[in-house]
Amino acid sequence: MKNLLPVVHHVLKLLILMGFAGYIAYLTFTGDILLYIAPHLVKYTELAAAGLFLFAVFQLYILIRSRTKEVPAACACSHDSVHHHHHHHDHDEHGHGHEPSPSLAKNVLMYGLFILPLLLGVVLPDQAFAGSLVKSRGIQVGESAGGSGGIPADLAPLAGTDDPELKERFKSDKYNRDYAKLGMLLYRQDVIEMKDEWFIEKLQALNAFAGNFEGKTIRIKGFVYREEGLGENQFIIGRMAMTHCIADISPYGIIAETPEAGSFADDAWVDITGTIATTTYRGQQVIKIDVSDTEPAAAPTIPYVYPDWDFAKKL
Amino acid sequence: MQETALRKKTLKWNSYLIAGASLVVMIVLYVLSTQDPGTLLHHPKLQIFKMMFVSIIIEAMPFILIGVVVSALLEVFVSEGTIQRMIPRNPILGIVAASLIGILFPICECGMVPAVRRLIQKGMPLYVATAFIAVGPILNPIVFWSTYTAFRSRPDIAYSRMGLAFLTALILGLIVYRFVNPNQLRHQDAVSGQAASIPAPSPVDKAAVSPPLGQRLLEVMNHAVGEFFEMGKYLMFGALLVGVLLAFVGKESLVGWGQGPVHANVLMMGLGFLLSLCSTSDAFVAQSFLTTFSGGALVAFMVLGPMLNLKGILMMTAVFKARFVIVYSSLVIVLVYGGTWLLEKCWLA
Repeated sequence: MKNLLPVVHHVLKLLILMGFAGYIAYLTFTGDILLYIAPHLVKYTELAAAGLFLFAVFQLYILIRSRTKEVPAACACSHDSVHHHHHHHDHDEHGHGHEPSPSLAKNVLMYGLFILPLLLGVVLPDQAFAGSLVKSRGIQVGESAGGSGGIPADLAPLAGTDDPELKERFKSDKYNRDYAKLGMLLYRQDVIEMKDEWFIEKLQALNAFAGNFEGKTIRIKGFVYREEGLGENQFIIGRMAMTHCIADISPYGIIAETPEAGSFADDAWVDITGTIATTTYRGQQVIKIDVSDTEPAAAPTIPYVYPDWDFAKKL
Repeated sequence: MQETALRKKTLKWNSYLIAGASLVVMIVLYVLSTQDPGTLLHHPKLQIFKMMFVSIIIEAMPFILIGVVVSALLEVFVSEGTIQRMIPRNPILGIVAASLIGILFPICECGMVPAVRRLIQKGMPLYVATAFIAVGPILNPIVFWSTYTAFRSRPDIAYSRMGLAFLTALILGLIVYRFVNPNQLRHQDAVSGQAASIPAPSPVDKAAVSPPLGQRLLEVMNHAVGEFFEMGKYLMFGALLVGVLLAFVGKESLVGWGQGPVHANVLMMGLGFLLSLCSTSDAFVAQSFLTTFSGGALVAFMVLGPMLNLKGILMMTAVFKARFVIVYSSLVIVLVYGGTWLLEKCWLA
C-alpha cells in the first residue's frame, strides 16, 4: 500500500496533464475554443497545450522510473538538499510527487479542483452567449470606444479621402481623430453595414458624429436586447464584445425603433435595415435606427466581435 | 516542532475543505430550490458557470505555464544571491528596477506569483518583490496599449492608471522596506533576509559539482510540474469562485450595489477584486462602465484589480505567510483609494 500511493499520485497527475493538453487541443481542433477566448490568444493556448503535453511526457517518464527503480521518483533534486540545507523544508512542501501529502481530504480536494473543469468540459456543451444571459449593467450605446488584419474590404477603396467639405463636417480634436477618419469613410458609403469586423470601432465613430449620419441607411445583424429606460417601441440590437475571454464580454449595440418592437423576443437574432436618426440616451447623444425592414437571422457560430487594437494604424 | 507545523497545515487544509464543501452545498441547494434534479445538467446558470470557469482557466494557462517554467529555470540555473547583486541597494532605485522588470517582461499576475517566490529565494529583497507583484501586471507596454486603446477619447485615464500603479507600488515597497520583517515566505527556514548575511555559494562551487545539462533539464521539468500543480490548484479555485460569482450573482447585481451608499471608488475596487480579470483585458471592461462611473472609479478598478484579486490572492497565500498577505492587501486598498481620491481632486475632474 505504501508503495502504491506514489503511483496513484503520478497517474493522477499524468491524467490531468494529458486531460488539459487534450482538451485544449480538442477545442482548438473543433474551433470551439473561440467560444472561450479571443482569436489573438489562440496561438498562446496552443503553445500551452504543447507545454502541458511535454509536462505529461515527463510525468510518464517519472511514473515509469518509479516502477522500475527502487529509488523514489524524481530524486533528481536530491543533490539540492545537500547544497541548500536551509531549503529542505521548502522542497518537502512542493509536492514534487515523491512527497505525497498524507491527508486524503487534501488530495481529494486538490485533484478534484483540476478534474472539475475537465469534467464540466466533457459533460456540458459549449455555449455561446447572447445578451441577457450575461447582463452587465448598461449596454454600450454611447461615446468612447473600445476585426483583424488590415482595413475591412468595404472601406478600403475609400481610404485617403481629401474632401474639404467632408473634413469640415468631421471636425476633430486629437482625441477623436481616428473616429473622424473612420466617420468620413462611413459617410461616403451608400449603406453603412455593421459587419463583425470593426463593429465596435464603427459604432463609436457613428456615435461620435451622430448628427452627421442622420438619414443614412444602415444594416446591422445582432441579437435583441432590452434594458430599463427604453420605450415600448424600442429595443437594442447588439453584439457581445470579447477582449480576452468570456469573463470580460460586454454588450455593444444600437437602439432600434419600430412599432412592432414588442414582437421581437429577447436574444433573437435579426437582420435590420433602417435609417439613422439621433436620440439622447443616458444623457448622451447617440444614433438610433428607424427600422424599415427586419428579417430573422441565424445566430453565428461564434457570435462575438473583438476590439481591433490597431484600427487607427490601418486607416 | 515539525508535528505542530504538520497539524497546522492539516487544519488549514481542513478549513479549505470546509469552505469548498459549503460552497458546493450552497450551489446545489440553490439549484435544487429553483429546478428539479432531472434538469440540473441543463440549468442555464450551471452552463454559464461552466463557460466562465473553463474560459478563465484556458486564458490563464499559458501565463501560469510561463510562470512555473521561469520559476523552475531560476531554481536550477541561478545561484542564490545573484538577483540580490543585480538589484540596486538603494530602496527607491530597487523598486524602480523592479518596475522596469515588468516593462521588459510583460507577464500578468498568474505568471508573476510563482516566479516571485523563486526570486525571493534567489535574493530579491521582500520590498522589491512586493513592489514587483503590485506594479508588474500594470506598468508594461501591453497593458498601457490596451488601456490607451480602450479609452481612446480619454488618454488621461491611461496615464493615471500607469502613474498611480507606479506610485502605489513605490510607497508600498517603501513601507514594506521600513516596517515589515523580510521573513515572509511560507514554509521556509531561511529567507533572503538572512541569506544576505551568509555568503552565497559562489558560482564556481556550484559549477564544480553541477550535474550534466540533461540532468539539470530534468530537474527543471520536475520543479515546473511540481509547481504547476501547487500553483494550479489556487488558480482552479480562484477561477471556480469567480465563475460562481459571475454565474450566480452576476455582474449586474454586483454593480447594482453601487446604487446604495457605497462610494463608487470602493465599489469599483471591490469589483476589480472579485472579477479577477487579466490586466490586459480589464480596460475594455472598465470602459463599458464609462457611462456609469467617474474616471477615478475606473482607475481604481484598473489599478486595484491587477494588484489584488480573488484569483491572485489565493496564489499569494501559497507563497507568503497569511499575515503578510493581509498587510499587503490592506496597504494596497488604502493606497489605491487614497490615490484615486487625490486624482479626482486634482486631475481627472
